[in-house]
Amino acid sequence: MRTTGTSPLLPKEDAREAALFFVVCALCFLAALSGLVARSAYAAADSWTEQVTGQITIRVRGTDGDATRAVSLVSQTPGIRSAHVLARKEAEELLKPWLGASGVPADLPLPHLIAAEGSGNATGLGDALSKKLSGAGIDATVDDHVTWSQDVKRATDSAGLVALIAVALLGMTAIAVIAFATHATLLARKDIVELLHLSGARDSYISGLFEQRFLMLGVQAGAVGALLAFGAAAFILFVVKQSDQRIWLLPQLSLSLADGLILGLAPLLAGVAAMLAAKVTVLRSLSDMV
Amino acid sequence: MPERDERFDEPAVRFDRVSLSYGPEADVLADVSLQLKPGSMTFLTGPSGAGKSTLLRLAYLALRPSTGRVSLFGIDTGKLNRPTLARLRRRIGVVFQEFRLLEHLTAYENVALPLRVNGDQEKRYRDDVVDLLKWVGLGDRLDARPATLSGGEKQRVAIARAVVVKPDLIIADEPTGNVDEEMGERLLRLFRELNRRLGTTLLIATHDLNMVRKAKADVLRLADGMVVRVAAPPPAVEEAPA
Repeated sequence: MRTTGTSPLLPKEDAREAALFFVVCALCFLAALSGLVARSAYAAADSWTEQVTGQITIRVRGTDGDATRAVSLVSQTPGIRSAHVLARKEAEELLKPWLGASGVPADLPLPHLIAAEGSGNATGLGDALSKKLSGAGIDATVDDHVTWSQDVKRATDSAGLVALIAVALLGMTAIAVIAFATHATLLARKDIVELLHLSGARDSYISGLFEQRFLMLGVQAGAVGALLAFGAAAFILFVVKQSDQRIWLLPQLSLSLADGLILGLAPLLAGVAAMLAAKVTVLRSLSDMV
Repeated sequence: MPERDERFDEPAVRFDRVSLSYGPEADVLADVSLQLKPGSMTFLTGPSGAGKSTLLRLAYLALRPSTGRVSLFGIDTGKLNRPTLARLRRRIGVVFQEFRLLEHLTAYENVALPLRVNGDQEKRYRDDVVDLLKWVGLGDRLDARPATLSGGEKQRVAIARAVVVKPDLIIADEPTGNVDEEMGERLLRLFRELNRRLGTTLLIATHDLNMVRKAKADVLRLADGMVVRVAAPPPAVEEAPA
């Protein structure tokens, strides 16, 4: 004989809750994935900017002597840590992606390229070098990559912002869906709510039953969604590594501690959102009762 | 014996010129005044649609009156906050006409529900609940779920649930409506025992005039939303003006 009073006061989940589980799971998957994309976009922006900051490329049109003189002038400029002329082989290596593995014909003249490195906080070096080289009668173009790196940063920041907006929208959608589903569940459980109410249960006691139920539902559905997002991210990484391709943002997509935090937070946030939605809905319904 | 309110001499139930209407329609209850002495047993009779269930719902605090005042144990319920109302409800056992058993709980768990809501530990009430279910003839149906119980069995589970906390006031809506005569008499004996031994106040709505005759208790007759007749002994009851 069983005769114990330990059965939960709310019946086990029904089809409505299964549907809600699926919806929360899908929303969490999308939110976690968007979160990962946002983080990777910002990480990419930082990484790429960091890589080009202080790097200056100078193209000298002239003789070897002009190039040597330019290196000397550049090296003496305050804020420049080092400068050297790229050997023909190094220049050919840079051109490989455009000209192919067959390389550059030996008789094709290449501009002299100088790679200089400025200290990270030196600003306006590009303009100063341009003036200095021009003043010395050297025909040269100075590229400090500022424009390019700013474009990259703007693009990655925009991508990150879009992803963050997507996360926020998905979060709000999740809360609205959960509130709607809680309300529907509550209507289906109105008999239980009213019986508990008339048996002397406090509002917080009744609300607590639903909060506990929906917290667990949110956390479980969120955990499944986050796991799927982790799987999707891992799959993308695997594909990228297998194909040995460098695709714009994807090289930055790594499963780091920050990603782990995003994946871990998603179910917690889903659970808390579900719990709060349940609390508000139940207390509002109870306030209609005497 | 349950803890008694210090204002023991106050009526257990008191209606002062209570009216209730749903929207602009005519009053379901009109200007009803009555008092139930603590420890009294009162039957509420009257034709279907007379307002018996509404009166009971007001008494067990499921409704608020449109006008007038409902007091329980000397406390004006209109002035209470929600936590105090919840505490007051724990002193009332209700037998609903439609049973209101939770389908996913066993008979035992349904009966134990008010005790769980009170926060009581199962090991403290387990034997009492089992004994009570045995007493109402359901000792072999402890683990049965309502879907497998007959109407009469459900009724008995509902009655057991109402009395399990030994409430100060029991309000029952047609408690013998679905049981045979023998079980009806057993339930009446249970009510009388609670009334005599524990001083529980009873308010029972019924069509069962046979039970009313046997019980020899106070009788309120309700017609068209008004208390129209009070049977002996009358001092506990003030009839509303017709």
